Amino acid sequence: MLQVLIQGLLLSGLYSLIAVGFTLIFSVGRVLNLAYGAYLMMGAYCYFYVTQTLGIPKPIGFVLAASVGAMAGVLKYRFLVKPLKGDHVAVEISTLILAVVIQAGIVFIFNDSAKVLHPIVPGVIWVGGAAVTYNMVAATLASWAILVLLYLFVRRTHTGRAMQAVSMDAKGAALSGIDPDKVNMITWVISGILGAAAGVFFASYTQVNPSMWVAPLIIAVAVVIVGGIGSILGTLVVAHIIGFMEVISTTFIAAELRGVFTMLLIIVVLVMMPKGLFGREEL
Amino acid sequence: MAADIKTRHVLLWAIFIGGMCLLPFVTTPGTLRTIIFANYLAIFAMSWDFLTGRTGYVSFGHPFLIGIGAYASAILSYRYGVPVAISIPLAVIITMIGGTLFFLPALRIRGSYFALVTLAFMELMYQLVQVIRPDITGGTRGMSGIQTITSGAFNNFYLSFALMAVIAVILWTLTRTRLGTALSAIGMNEESVRGSGLDTTKLKLFAFMVSACVAGIGGAFYVHYLGSIAPRNLFDINFLFTIIVAALIGGASTVVGPMAGAFFLTFLLEYLRPWLPGSERYFVYGAIALVLYMYQPKGLYQIIVDSLGIGKSRNKQEAAGDSAA
Amino acid sequence: MTALLEVSRLVKRFGGISAVNDLSFEVNQGESLGLIGPNGAGKTTVFSLIMGEHRQNSGTVTLAGEDLSADPTYLRIQKGVSRTYQVPRPFADINVAENIRVGLMPNSIRRMISEGPDPDAELALARSVGFAAADLEKTPGELSMGDLRKLELARTLATAPKVMLLDEVFAGLTVGEITQISDLLAEKRKEGMTYVIVSHDLRSLEPLIDRAVAMTFGHVIAEGTFREVMDNEKVRAAYLGH
Repeated sequence: MLQVLIQGLLLSGLYSLIAVGFTLIFSVGRVLNLAYGAYLMMGAYCYFYVTQTLGIPKPIGFVLAASVGAMAGVLKYRFLVKPLKGDHVAVEISTLILAVVIQAGIVFIFNDSAKVLHPIVPGVIWVGGAAVTYNMVAATLASWAILVLLYLFVRRTHTGRAMQAVSMDAKGAALSGIDPDKVNMITWVISGILGAAAGVFFASYTQVNPSMWVAPLIIAVAVVIVGGIGSILGTLVVAHIIGFMEVISTTFIAAELRGVFTMLLIIVVLVMMPKGLFGREEL
Repeated sequence: MAADIKTRHVLLWAIFIGGMCLLPFVTTPGTLRTIIFANYLAIFAMSWDFLTGRTGYVSFGHPFLIGIGAYASAILSYRYGVPVAISIPLAVIITMIGGTLFFLPALRIRGSYFALVTLAFMELMYQLVQVIRPDITGGTRGMSGIQTITSGAFNNFYLSFALMAVIAVILWTLTRTRLGTALSAIGMNEESVRGSGLDTTKLKLFAFMVSACVAGIGGAFYVHYLGSIAPRNLFDINFLFTIIVAALIGGASTVVGPMAGAFFLTFLLEYLRPWLPGSERYFVYGAIALVLYMYQPKGLYQIIVDSLGIGKSRNKQEAAGDSAA
Repeated sequence: MTALLEVSRLVKRFGGISAVNDLSFEVNQGESLGLIGPNGAGKTTVFSLIMGEHRQNSGTVTLAGEDLSADPTYLRIQKGVSRTYQVPRPFADINVAENIRVGLMPNSIRRMISEGPDPDAELALARSVGFAAADLEKTPGELSMGDLRKLELARTLATAPKVMLLDEVFAGLTVGEITQISDLLAEKRKEGMTYVIVSHDLRSLEPLIDRAVAMTFGHVIAEGTFREVMDNEKVRAAYLGH
């Protein structure tokens, strides 16, 4: 029981981090970035290459991974999303294609075998007969730290408030002197950094492989759909629902079924409540 | 039938079908096998396009429909010894029923959410097939040794081509009727279609049923051509990607486009095989599709039509952009 | 005279805000009614409620004695109400003839397939709103605002309405286009069409209507001839932003 609680909390923290970057884009830019999972993959591969192939210290690897994410965000916004002028169908289709292109590019460079990432923080602690890796604890703590920083950024800084304004009413924000283009660009950069960071932690929890982008994308999609668009509270709550559902179904039912509940949750909530559990709230 | 069909159209179809029928006498069995795959991909792409290209509802769940058709027929014939002549029609009906039940609520949801729900269906199916009754579905490894309808590249070519051509002609004829105009109008402005006194739910459901029917036929015949089935080959984003890219490269919201796109992609794959044997080829696929899509969302079809100056040069992109804004 | 369209005690709340609040009016056969009021008075919402695009919280909409209140939009259109929009909504990728064709279609998939389009009817409708035969091949991207409004009128007329609801038909038009549309509406009126017209352009509206209903904050404040309504104290106050 204690194990379920701890595992659930740890996993949910990670899922919150995965989902928040995706929510941010949906909320501010009003488009679904189906290539979001690819940020995670690029971040993870970059970290893997820098720290384990080149043997460069981990913090530098982490920073480099984050910059790759930021760069990907800029490029994606400049060359894909902006030219398509917020045409939802076009953005969804083109980002999905992009994700597969990135996946293929990764296979091209790193081949398609899975790679194991060394724990970011090695060591294990035993809690009530259950093994809890320091790595997972570190990932969760880092997730929470990043989420708090993001919250403060959105609430306290000028840029953050501009993001809020654009997410509520892009035209109104533009009229009051905010450059939506610039705000969108910043949001894509932040989303890219968050994705890449989440990717490093996610990879240290599972492994690095070329199809590792699908599962986090589905999780992010579920969290956004169920939690409502652009609600940080909703994101947190739903990330915990999904995290705990996974841990509970893995422990008590069958490990293979853990993704099924996430999918069912998406379908049931979308059909019953098209606006999500928490509706549309502020950022 | 009251479709807008001119002698020119009939002639072009006759030349295309006649030419294809002569192919087996001038090419190698290897090329024929490539074309067989292209025929099935064309069926899937046309199915996807009939829903998404027309009505504007993006389906990321087509592998789910194709998978239902394939699994239903495979299970019926492999596990229960049902003759293929019965299992395939049953599978198509199961695809249409199962698909409609799942998608009916999804048709109430608009835009991005529809795409997501269909994506969720595909992933759900992938996981369920492996877990629920693996003794029937074959679990993660799937099934092999499924009865084939006919053997040899020659026979299979004619079977798959006949199937593809019949479906293409039927879908093409449908799009030349007023129904085709109405379905496309939904993609442009659903409210205005409703405001013209038409029941859009009925129209969308019809579009979906046709799409599911074609997907079911394609899936069922395909599995009896391959003789094997595995969840990761079907309920897979790469498979979805291939279908969508085929439709987009050729030209969405046309029938000829997805068909041509499927052939183009399949042959591209064949040419690339010596250099890119693995899944790296998706890099080339995707890059081409992405650049083309950004340049002309209506694909090669539109580029060819524009460059030949067929019809009046309509400023489609601009008009579409204005109505979206 | 019996009322053709009757709106009775209509209420529509969005969240806590009442957009339409206990609103009643009626339009007689062959009559032209002007619905006027300041921005945000709820005029467009009334149209949406009559068409069933939004569902009222309470109240009824009756057409020729038949209660439409529970019908979906397409059924109401079949029964004889139709509307245009402030911002025209054409089908961008198909030409004028095909746009009108959608309006002419029966709501039957079987008949859509088995019966071809009727080019004569399409041309006649296009002509009746002032298009030339050559315009049929144009796409909406090539049309002016005036032409777009005409196209919308043609598509609306194609559904053979008994009552037409016209939302800001003069907005964004040149003086010449306004005259053109006014003449067109006047002509249709002679043929017996019944209208409810919303417009901010009161000068153009006046000659087109028999009677006016003024509303603000979702309910009727005055009713009568155009002059009577415009001279009403409450209406003046409402327009002055009181």
